[in-house]
Amino acid sequence: MTVAWIGDRGVPLADAAKHAAELLVTSLCPVLSLDTDVHGTRAAIALARRVGAAYDQLDGEAVARETAQYTDKGGMFIAPGEVRRRADVVVIAGELPAVHYDLIAELANTAPDLDGGTGKRQFFLIGTDTPAPGNVKAMRLSCDGGVEATLAALRARLAGRKTAREVTHFNGFAKALAEARFPVFTFCGQSLGLLGLEMVQGLISDINRKQRASALHLAASDNGWGSTQASAWTSGFPLRTGLARGYAEFDPWRFDVARMIADGEADLHLMVACDAAQVPALKGLSLIALAKTDKPVAGAVVTIAIGEPGVDHDAVVYSSRVGTLAAIEAKAPSELPSAAAVLRQITEHLPHEEALPC
Amino acid sequence: MLTRIAGGEIVDPVNGRVGKGDLWIEDETIVAAPSGRQPDVTLDAAGCIVMAGAIDIHSHIGGGNVNTARLLLPEQHKAHAPRPAGTPLSNVGWTTFDTGRLYAQMGFTTVVEPAMSPGAALHTHLELADIPIIDKATLAILGNDDFLLSMVRDKASPVMIEDYVAWTVASSRALGVKVINAGAAAAFKDNVRSFSFDDVVPFYGTSSRSIVKTLQAAVGALGIPHPLHVHCNNLGIPGAPDTAAETMAAAEGLPLHLAHLQFYGYGAEGKRGFSSEAARLAALVNSTPEITIDVGQVMFGQTVTISSDVLRQFSARGTANPRKSVIYDGDADGGGIVPHNYRDDYYGSLQWAIGLELFLLIEDPWRVFFTTDHPNGAPFTTYPEIFELLMSREARAKAMEGLSKRALGLSTLPDLTREYTFEEIAIMTRAAPAKLLGLKDRGHLGAGALADVAVYRKGNDIAQMFRSAALVLKNGELVVEDGIAKNYRWGKTLRLKPTPDKAMVKRLEAYHQERYGLSLNWFDFPDSAIPREQPFGEVSCNA
Repeated sequence: MTVAWIGDRGVPLADAAKHAAELLVTSLCPVLSLDTDVHGTRAAIALARRVGAAYDQLDGEAVARETAQYTDKGGMFIAPGEVRRRADVVVIAGELPAVHYDLIAELANTAPDLDGGTGKRQFFLIGTDTPAPGNVKAMRLSCDGGVEATLAALRARLAGRKTAREVTHFNGFAKALAEARFPVFTFCGQSLGLLGLEMVQGLISDINRKQRASALHLAASDNGWGSTQASAWTSGFPLRTGLARGYAEFDPWRFDVARMIADGEADLHLMVACDAAQVPALKGLSLIALAKTDKPVAGAVVTIAIGEPGVDHDAVVYSSRVGTLAAIEAKAPSELPSAAAVLRQITEHLPHEEALPC
Repeated sequence: MLTRIAGGEIVDPVNGRVGKGDLWIEDETIVAAPSGRQPDVTLDAAGCIVMAGAIDIHSHIGGGNVNTARLLLPEQHKAHAPRPAGTPLSNVGWTTFDTGRLYAQMGFTTVVEPAMSPGAALHTHLELADIPIIDKATLAILGNDDFLLSMVRDKASPVMIEDYVAWTVASSRALGVKVINAGAAAAFKDNVRSFSFDDVVPFYGTSSRSIVKTLQAAVGALGIPHPLHVHCNNLGIPGAPDTAAETMAAAEGLPLHLAHLQFYGYGAEGKRGFSSEAARLAALVNSTPEITIDVGQVMFGQTVTISSDVLRQFSARGTANPRKSVIYDGDADGGGIVPHNYRDDYYGSLQWAIGLELFLLIEDPWRVFFTTDHPNGAPFTTYPEIFELLMSREARAKAMEGLSKRALGLSTLPDLTREYTFEEIAIMTRAAPAKLLGLKDRGHLGAGALADVAVYRKGNDIAQMFRSAALVLKNGELVVEDGIAKNYRWGKTLRLKPTPDKAMVKRLEAYHQERYGLSLNWFDFPDSAIPREQPFGEVSCNA
């Protein structure tokens, strides 16, 4: 089975890795886009350090917004297990990725057991067009202006101020909050902008003056949040970090890899993706594609097939279901190499022997 | 390979060896001077102090809360200066890689992360595995978890509780057990805003005292070498010395370790209602032989407080500097990240003085441990300056010149003349930590010990001497020369391996399925998830 290509020509994996290393060495501004597991991320950052690359999550806008919630503001957060056991009110603040629907359905089908005895859980859904995840029965809270305007109006009304726009079902919501022992707001950077994320935290902060409340982070991308964690301990910074100057610099604008490509700053793009369909066709930019594929990726100078974490090989991933990193076994083990193994092989072909941080 | 460290001044209190001589190492082990053999390598230690590698028993170096602090504070990295240039990732901030390098360069060879949430053990161990050079270990947090609190409430048998503690320690690969503001995190979830030693956790009806006593008994019965590691209630609050005193009294003759005692040394005297009760606490420690403590020294400058004491951190949110924080309600304890800038004003001066008072007033260096509660009191990179303050009253006097006179007037520090000797430093940072943690293979330089050795060039600048070790050997390998890390080997994470009771595992599986809708497998992991050849080193429990 061919797993590596230079252009359209099938080659041994070692040759493809060597060619990829040669391209990285001659690049003036290499960039890495990642959609991979924790060990793939660690290996990618080790490679980025050696070639002075910037790295980011593939399609990383939502992950960057979730990161900014931490780097700029902080907030109050809660583990999903505690939500299951304590939350008597769940407020879904904006649309959630479908991958989280099972958790919401699970919350709807269970009752809190550490809530002081009510044993009931009410759901609210913020936004006119926000789909109800897992077909959960929820009271909809909305007003003109979308999710963020609704959040702002809710916060103002709960603080006793008047608003120009009425929020549907506000009185029911206010009553539920007043009686709740532990309301929880879910949030995700995919559907909320920075102001929306900040508004959720503002609401929670207000409630915590007298009662308890917190926020459940349901990540826009579990891989993206796992990579953010691995990047933080490995480089000291989240994703959107650059190593071109020989040391790590975090700048969510400068090292936004999509921007660097669009503005013509990058001259080589190494992409790690679970699925070759994620790889966009870009003209005028050399591409090294590591993706689960059985054929060369269109337009890629080098393609190397990799396995999918947790499917083809065991992996460590972030799981929004447990709220931390988890070890998962391969569901259908295959001989496809992991992203980490391929990235290490490319790194071994780079000049200068030096201790790797990963 | 046979190595001779030649002509140094050996300071090895465990073996009663203090004076000029050679130290011999064969491969990973210290050996007696071999007769008739020539060394393969001779390292010149003339003019140097030779000690065992230092051991830090309480430093927050990895795990979910530490990583959240990195995310919250990309600007924090400068607090970890100075960093020598020209080394791998030398200008990268607060990384796992830097942690190993900077510790090794100061002659530290083993460091304990004292607060691992068992449910997030994998995350902690992944970070620890990425810390090079040194060995690591971690303590599992219990005491706010529903399973334990329910057992205490339901008056479960001591054996059943021991089975649970054993499973937790084994599955989370811990070296011991820590309890943090016992019961308070659970109470906070029920909107309790203050929690003392005899307060009762809502729903469970069990007090903080009973949780501490339950865990103390289980740790002792299981033969876990390190006594229960206690973060008391009411941290940082004027009046906390009463809580610390109550907790010490509750030891009742059995070993108990109290963490970062400096943060409990605040009295409520004076115009500002903030004074030093360090002398009272030191006297209590001196008269209670079953108690050990670490200090949690404060040093001035920007840092970040990282604690699983979520109730305390919630209360401290208003003091965040810069003004951002994270509060996390975890499955048990959770955590809080609140940045803080210790200023040399009245309050900061007093906090700084209280830590030094504890160091200098607690008489037995086997029972007082050298920590800043990194990074809570200060980053660990300030250790060299603290060694100087302990070893030189002149340095202390100079440091006090710029501080609040009003604060120092409420402290005994200006009158203290004690200066730590090299022998006392070796006890406090090597021999005693090894004994406290049950690490029989280190902390001394006797034949058979692991060859973890730190060599410091003597000079008038004590801080410089401890900042840049002349030589450091880890497992017999030379890893630091002239203060620069040269060899980035990978150390191990030291763990206990008690055998979990099968009935308890079955019970926990059912509990996790019912309460969390998840298999117990989600809270465990195979060693292969850690990307090192031998990620763990096993330490024996006491018989």
